[in-house]
Amino acid sequence: MSVHDLLLAPFSYEFMRRGLLSAVLLGASGGLLGCVLVLRRLALMGDALSHSLLPGVAVAWLLFGTSTSALFFGGLVAGLLTALGSALLSRLTRVKEDAAFGSLFIVFFGMGVALISKLPTRINLADFLFGNVLGVGASDLRLAGAVSAGTVALFAIFYRSILLETFDPVFHRATGGRGGLVHLGFLTLTVLNLVAAMQTMGIVLALGLFLLPAVSAYLWCDRFISMLLLSVGLAIGGSVVGILVSFHAGLASGASIVLCLGAAFLVSVLFSPRYGALRGLRLGSARPPAA
Amino acid sequence: MRYGRLTALSDISFETPCGSSTAVLGANGAGKSTLLRAVLGWQALAAGEVRIGDAHPQHARPRLAYVPQRHAVDWDFPITVRGVVEQGRYPSLGLFQRLGAADRELVDGALEELGISELAGRQIRRLSGGQQQRVFLARALAQGGDIFLLDEPFAGLDLFGSEELTHILRKWEAQGRTVLAAVHDLGIARTCFTRGVLLDTSLVAAGPIADVLTPANIDRAYRHGHCVHAGAARGEAHP
Repeated sequence: MSVHDLLLAPFSYEFMRRGLLSAVLLGASGGLLGCVLVLRRLALMGDALSHSLLPGVAVAWLLFGTSTSALFFGGLVAGLLTALGSALLSRLTRVKEDAAFGSLFIVFFGMGVALISKLPTRINLADFLFGNVLGVGASDLRLAGAVSAGTVALFAIFYRSILLETFDPVFHRATGGRGGLVHLGFLTLTVLNLVAAMQTMGIVLALGLFLLPAVSAYLWCDRFISMLLLSVGLAIGGSVVGILVSFHAGLASGASIVLCLGAAFLVSVLFSPRYGALRGLRLGSARPPAA
Repeated sequence: MRYGRLTALSDISFETPCGSSTAVLGANGAGKSTLLRAVLGWQALAAGEVRIGDAHPQHARPRLAYVPQRHAVDWDFPITVRGVVEQGRYPSLGLFQRLGAADRELVDGALEELGISELAGRQIRRLSGGQQQRVFLARALAQGGDIFLLDEPFAGLDLFGSEELTHILRKWEAQGRTVLAAVHDLGIARTCFTRGVLLDTSLVAAGPIADVLTPANIDRAYRHGHCVHAGAARGEAHP
């Protein structure tokens, strides 16, 4: 197989070009969001949030068919219901926020699976859950472009607020920052990106495109800005390699991208010169001492 | 000051002169943090008011600098010493404004004053406890205010770190800066601060530290606290 066959030929197909572009666009924005998820310890919450989108998407499909914007708003409503619902539950009852979130998202997810299995269409549950690059249409691509550009622009404009809110929310508030607004905006962006990534990555795997590059970058970087940039770079790189692997190996695109990013994570965990596991083992301690 | 139906702090009135250092003292739950929050203007008061000079705390914000508790900080965050100190300038920057020469000068000055210029490029976990504390003091300095609110600054510091911090805070007072700090340790309060505010969900005493920390006041502030939690078991009342 020539280099041309390996790297370029796959993209003579329209659907491959679309899939690649969609993954690259969302890698750019997801790589940014992932950093905040990792640093604010919201990784598991993000995972739960992504599962909870399913019923919204299913209901939208039921009512409006394949309209991208309908799917988008369906997912958005379901995601926000889960986020706000669990916040409300934890305020009104003794149930803590993590348990409230865990309970709500699993009910939502179950509802979504039930709805989709009863839908009178040919759509495949597996495509919803794990992504299908064949399904990326022109409107999906436009959505991905808009969401990605919006996310990157907001990160550029509000970089300092995001850094303060992530590192030291109390200080952010003390100096007149709108912490609640930044947090809500961040959750909304996460849901938007998850919905936009649904076609290529699938609901269950979409978060991998955000989280894995960020946590890998976390192991290499000592500055927030370099972590953001490396994370975006890894997400884009992983998307390109993942899409190619999925073409040649006949794998689901979402799974293939997640596995490529997983490989990058494994390398980072093992070989990061300052924070890697091998260094920890060599020094005979799990972490560098505080002093 | 109330949280829902719980009154956290009531009947409290005191003044802190400019250029003095004041320790806010009391048992756990006595209202030390609540008082700091009130001064910062985060907590709506059920009754009464806080004035900073002639201004409401919301309007005096540029004068106030807050230093968080050590355990509230994620020391693994990908950020360098200089990165943290630069945050002190963020509030005074517009949305599209970058750090200017004047900002950089203030940051350099703060790093220099606290003796951490050489550490500017280090990630914040790779510092000693005292150095970590100085990074956040430097951030407060870089803000350019003259009133410093410190939440338990001595918590988690070793002996050397405590002495270092005492030295810095005393110097700040001598330079005319105003410091208000929640403090746990009465010994540290005596050596490091000239004034004190002793709380037990209401004011026990306020004024020069020696007048505040009399055996009778301490007894009232701390034993009364026990009484609330274990009063029934002890079966004794305090005046």
